[in-house]
Amino acid sequence: MSIKLNVINLEKSEYTGGKSSLCPGCGHDQISKVIIQAAWENGIPPEGIVKMSGIGCSSKTPAYFLGKSHGFNTVHGRMPSVTTGAAMANKNLLYIGVSGDGDTASIGIGQFIHAIRRNLNMVYIIENNGVYGLTKGQYSATMERGSTKRKGQPNDQPPIDLCKMAINLGCGFVARSFSGSKKQLTALIKAGMSHNGMAIIDVISPCVTFANNDESYRSYGYVKDNEEPLHVADYIPHFSPIAEVDIPEGEYKDIELFDGSTLRLETISDHHDTSDVVAALSAIHYAEQQGKHVTGLLYFEADIPTADEVQGLVDIPLSSLPAELMRPSRAKHDELIRKLIG
Amino acid sequence: METIVNDFTINIATANGTGSQSANTVLLKTMFDMGVPVSGKNLFPSNISGLPTWYIIRVSDAGYQAPGDRTHIMIMMNADTWQKDIDSCESETVIIYNSDVKLPVERDDCVVLGIPMTKMARKINPKLARMIANMYYVGALVHLLDVDIVSVQSLLERQFKGKTSAIELNMRAIEEGRAYAEENFGNPQPYRIEEREKIEGQFLIDGNEATALGSIYGGVNLLSWYPITPSSSLAEGIIQWLPELRNTEDGKSTCAVIQAEDELAAVGMVVGAGWGGARGMTCTSGPGISLMSEFIGLAYFAEIPCVIWDVNRVGPSTGLPTRTQQGDLNLLREASHGDTDHIILIPGNVEECFEFAWRAFEYSERYQTLVFGFSDLDLGMNSWICNGFEYPSEPIERGKVIRTQEQLDAVENYGRYRDVDGDGVPYRTLPGSGLAPILTRGTGHDEDGVYSEEPEVYRQLMKRLKRKINNARSELPVPILREEEELEIGIIYYGSMETTIQEIDDIIEDTGVKVSQCRVRALPLHPEVEAFVERHERVIVLEINRDGQMYGVLRKELPIHLVPKIMSVAYSDGLPPRAKFFAERIMRTLEELSV
Repeated sequence: MSIKLNVINLEKSEYTGGKSSLCPGCGHDQISKVIIQAAWENGIPPEGIVKMSGIGCSSKTPAYFLGKSHGFNTVHGRMPSVTTGAAMANKNLLYIGVSGDGDTASIGIGQFIHAIRRNLNMVYIIENNGVYGLTKGQYSATMERGSTKRKGQPNDQPPIDLCKMAINLGCGFVARSFSGSKKQLTALIKAGMSHNGMAIIDVISPCVTFANNDESYRSYGYVKDNEEPLHVADYIPHFSPIAEVDIPEGEYKDIELFDGSTLRLETISDHHDTSDVVAALSAIHYAEQQGKHVTGLLYFEADIPTADEVQGLVDIPLSSLPAELMRPSRAKHDELIRKLIG
Repeated sequence: METIVNDFTINIATANGTGSQSANTVLLKTMFDMGVPVSGKNLFPSNISGLPTWYIIRVSDAGYQAPGDRTHIMIMMNADTWQKDIDSCESETVIIYNSDVKLPVERDDCVVLGIPMTKMARKINPKLARMIANMYYVGALVHLLDVDIVSVQSLLERQFKGKTSAIELNMRAIEEGRAYAEENFGNPQPYRIEEREKIEGQFLIDGNEATALGSIYGGVNLLSWYPITPSSSLAEGIIQWLPELRNTEDGKSTCAVIQAEDELAAVGMVVGAGWGGARGMTCTSGPGISLMSEFIGLAYFAEIPCVIWDVNRVGPSTGLPTRTQQGDLNLLREASHGDTDHIILIPGNVEECFEFAWRAFEYSERYQTLVFGFSDLDLGMNSWICNGFEYPSEPIERGKVIRTQEQLDAVENYGRYRDVDGDGVPYRTLPGSGLAPILTRGTGHDEDGVYSEEPEVYRQLMKRLKRKINNARSELPVPILREEEELEIGIIYYGSMETTIQEIDDIIEDTGVKVSQCRVRALPLHPEVEAFVERHERVIVLEINRDGQMYGVLRKELPIHLVPKIMSVAYSDGLPPRAKFFAERIMRTLEELSV
C-alpha cells in the first residue's frame, strides 16, 4: 500500500504530536485531529507553524499535535501577548493559538480584545466547553444561563459570546463550529490558515466529564441536536485548480482567501451574507434566543492591515537580522554625539 | 559683601503647565554653555496643569549635583505655595517674586525683590503673558548673577530653531526683566556666575533618553510598553530615535513598537519576542513590575531572554508617582512566585544608563534569562551633564542559539535544558528553524523540555538555574571603588545616589573621618563587594528607601562573620537625597555604634 503524501511530500505522521492526557472522548482531542489534518492537507511545512496556548485543558493540546513545530504553553489568559511578541520576532510563520473559554473569556479577555484590535496575524481557536475542566468543572463566562452541569446548580450568569465580541471589534474572520462537525471544522480551520490577519474560530467542544449531561447546553447530544449551520463549507486549496471541483447545484458563494485558496459556502436554506456585520450578529442573536448554536463562517473581511504590516518591518525576520541592522554604525554614532552636543 | 561664585542653589516655585519648563531650561543650559557645572531637578506633581512644581538648579564648581541642603535664591511665581515657599527660606535668601501675584512677602531677613512680571509680559503679548512672564525671572537672574546675555541669545536660537518670533519674544522678555532688575535693584546680593572653560564633548541629557539610546545600540527588536510615570519618556526616547538610528536605507523598521493594553501584555510580548529569537524589552515603574510578576517567573523558569527597565518611583501602591525612590530592589531581585533569582543592572549616571542598556541584551541572551535595569525618577527624568557615550566596546553576541543543523549536530547530547557545557547555560533553537522543537512551558520540565513532575528532575533544574545566575556574578559590572588608605568607614551605595555621594563623603571627611566608597552596579553581588566589606572596619549601606533593601540583600548574601560590620542608613521622603541630611544620618549611626 502506498503511503499518502501531501503536496510537499510529507506523510501525515509528520504533523502528529504526543499522546493526549485529556479525558477519553474529550472534544478537544477531535479538534487536535482536525488541526493535524488541516495543516497536513494544506501542505504547510511543520517548521513554518508555531503553536501557542495559555493554561487549561485546551491549552495542553499543543503537546498533542504538530510535534515538529515549535510551541509555547504560556501563562493563563496571556497567549495573545506572547504570540504578538513572537509574531514580531518572525512575521513569516503561521501562528496557531489554542485557548479555552476560561483562558479567553475570563482571565484573558483583555488580551483577546486587543489582539483582535491589532489584527494579529494568527488563527485563534477557542475550545469552548463552558466549564473549567482542570479545576473540576466550575462554570466559565461563556456558559449559557440556565445550563446545568453534572452534579451542580444551573448557571445563573449570562454568557459572553466571543464571536459577537470579535465581530464588534472588527475582526476580519469570525467563525463558529462544533468539535463533532469534523467536515465543517476542517474547512474553517484550513480557511483560517489561509487568511491574512486574525481568524477567530470559536469551537463548541463538550466537556465529557463535567458538562456532558442532557441539561447542559454544551453537551455533545444537545449541540448535535441544536446546531444550525449557516452553510456547507468546502475548502479548495490554491494548489488544486477550482475547475476540478464539482459545482454545487444550489446557491453558493466563494470566499477568496489571501493565499489563493477558496472557501466555498453552499447555501442551506437562507443565504448568509458573510460581509454583513448586522447579518452575522443577527444570526447569533436569533440562534441564542432559540437555544440553538449557529455555526459556519459568520463574518469575513479581507485586506485589513495586520499587526506586523503596520510596523513597516524589514522583510527578513527580526530574529535573524544581521549585526549591522542591530546597531547604528560608528559614523552614525559620531553624528548622534555631534547632535547631542548641539 | 563677599561674592559667592558658582556655588549656590536656585529654587523656582511655579505651577504645573504654566510654561516655566522652557524658562528653566534656558537658565540651566545657558549656565552649562558657560562651562559652569550645573544640574537641574524637576519636582513636579502628578498633574497636568495647576499643581505646584519646583525646579531646583544646583550651581557647583565642586561638581555637586544634589539639590543642596538649602535654597540661596528663591523664585516665587505660584500663589498656591506662596507662604510655604517664603517660610522655607533661610535667612539671607534672595527672594525674587512676581509682584503681580499681589501677596505679601514679609521677610526682613532676606533680600526681597519684586517684579511685575505678568503686567510686563502682557504688554508684549497679552495672549502668551502667562508663559512669557517666566522669562522675566530669567532676565532678572541674568542681571543679578552676571550671566552672559550673548550665551542666552545663542541658546534661545538653538532652543527655538528658526522660530524667529518665539526667539524675539522670549529675548525681549528676558531683556526687559534684566533691565528692570538693573534699574530697580542694582545688585544687593552676593551670588554670581563666572564662566569656566567648557569641557569638550559634554552635553546635558536625562537618564531615560540615555537608556533609550543604549537600548537602540543593544539591538532592540521589540519595544512593548504601557505608559507610566516615570518611565514613559524612556519608551518615547526609543520611538523618537529609532527611525534615524535603526531604520534601513529604504526606511524599513528593525524594531517593532507596540503600546500595549497593560503591563501584563507588555511583558508578554517581550517574552514572546525573546522566545522567538528577537531582542525584546519593556520599561515601566514599580506598579508595572507588580503586574508583570507572573511573566517574570515564566521568563526565569523557561529561560527566555528579556529586558525590563524599572524606573523606580515612590511606592507602595500608586505611592507618589512623580517622586523618587530606590524602593523596588527587593521586588526585582526575587520577583515572581517560587524561588527566583534575577540579574539587575544598576547604572549610577547617564553614561552607564547608555552602557547598561545595550549590555542588558547581551547578558539576557548570554544567560538566557530576564535582566532588569534599575533606574529611578531622579536619574531618569532629570538633566545631567554627560561626558559622552562610548561606542559599545564589544560586538553583539547572541548567546547559545542554534540556527543550523550543523550547529545542532555539533552539540553532543542536545536537549533544550541540558547543561552540555557545564556552565549552567543550555542551548536553544528558534521557532521557524524546524530544529529539535519543543513545547516551551512554565510547568516542570526535564532536560529535553518534556513535562515532568519527577522530584529529582525538578531539583536538578532549580540547582542549575541557581548555578547559572551565580556564574554571572563576576561577569556583571564590577563595583566602583574609591578607597582611602585608612580603610576606616566604607559606604556601599548604588544607582542615583552617585550624584550625591561625593558631597556626602566630603562633609563626613570634614569631621576627620576617612570614608571609602563602593558603588554596587549589579545584582547578584560581585565578589568585590564582599572583599570591600572584609577590608573595612565598618560599612554603611546607604540608600533611598525605608527598610534598607540593599542592606537586606547584603545580610542575606555576605558570609555571616561580615554581617555585624554592616549598618543600614536608609531614608526616603520622595525627594532626591540631600547631602548634608544623609551625611548627618551616617555620622549619627556611627556615633550610636561607638557608644
